[in-house]
Amino acid sequence: MIKVLKAGLETSIQDYPGRIGYWNQGFPPSGPMDSWSFRFANVLVGNQPGAAGLECQFLGPTLFFDADTVIAVTGADMRPALDGEPFPMWQSVAVRARQTLALGAARVGGRAYIAVAGGFANEERLGSRSTFNKAGVGGIDGHSIKAGQDLPVAEGRGTPGLLVPNEHRPDIRTDRTWTIEVCAGPNDDWIDDAGKKRFLSSAWTLSAKSDRTGFRLQGPEWTFTEKAYNKPKEHGSLPSNIIDHGYPLGAINLAGQTPIILVNDGPSMGGFINPYTVPSAAFWKLGQARPGEHLHFRLVSVAEAQRMAKQIAERCVREILVNA
Amino acid sequence: MVKQVLAPLPGLFYRKPSPDAAPFKQEGDPVAAGETIGLIEAMKSFFPVEADVAGTLARFLAQDGDTVDADQAIAELE
Repeated sequence: MIKVLKAGLETSIQDYPGRIGYWNQGFPPSGPMDSWSFRFANVLVGNQPGAAGLECQFLGPTLFFDADTVIAVTGADMRPALDGEPFPMWQSVAVRARQTLALGAARVGGRAYIAVAGGFANEERLGSRSTFNKAGVGGIDGHSIKAGQDLPVAEGRGTPGLLVPNEHRPDIRTDRTWTIEVCAGPNDDWIDDAGKKRFLSSAWTLSAKSDRTGFRLQGPEWTFTEKAYNKPKEHGSLPSNIIDHGYPLGAINLAGQTPIILVNDGPSMGGFINPYTVPSAAFWKLGQARPGEHLHFRLVSVAEAQRMAKQIAERCVREILVNA
Repeated sequence: MVKQVLAPLPGLFYRKPSPDAAPFKQEGDPVAAGETIGLIEAMKSFFPVEADVAGTLARFLAQDGDTVDADQAIAELE
């Protein structure tokens, strides 16, 4: 068991790829936003890459270990400390019973991941241990962890002293600027040429009104094709309204003039167009971006997006690790 | 002695509890230990920036609406 002394900011148990197969009933996949860092945390401690671990957001938790184990911390730098001593990231480390791990505020990036040998053993709901706060499903009692809770851990054997080499870690930006891949569509034909050009050439500011449901962007105006104006009334009154349809995960959903990227805990349907879609291989960047930072979008083909996802998956394996 | 008040997490800094309200503190105001001098917004939530010691608010180092990093100095108390 691991006791939660301080919960941090909506720290939650997630697994990868999350709750797959229930999108048609409104259940998003949930899971870690930066699944690159998350998978490496698990691989470091000898788990399957998708085993249940903790996602820490902007402000990390403080955890008390009641048994010896092996853990790893990856992703955002929240200056982890074990019994007050600096704790190395991107490494598997032996932790003794009665030691305390404390994460602070994120200095670089937005989300850190903690994996424990064996993984968390909370009950599966709809095939996943991931927490979906909005519906109260998964995690511990359906929600983010709380101070005083005991987190169950499965039996596991990790090897301390393993390290993810620098060149295999995600490049978490420190210059407040990100280039995020997007695929065109499904509704790019509702945006006129000037609007498409503006979208791909502008810096979009990530709003603080962003969470695991949606990432709100601030930027220039959108302009539309004839299709957005000349449509049956039931589509709705705004140019970006469309008769309710299914949303892809990663959709850049245009609510009036405000684009919102629908992320891990996002909605599965609604009445706005989705001119572009962020592929899952670029989600890690969203997970590490912070409010006020600038996003630029780069158009890629679906084939290229799939290639990127494959390259990340091929990295997150035991063979990549070296001795610390 | 000058004491800095640091941002508890990264996000957007605000000096006011809501857009139409007066700022929590003006430069020159007294501040009690634990008192809120501003807010930081992240993940659709607002978090108080609290002074951990009492003093007089000498000056703000971050402006209303600024993007701040964790542990960035927000204000100086004297």
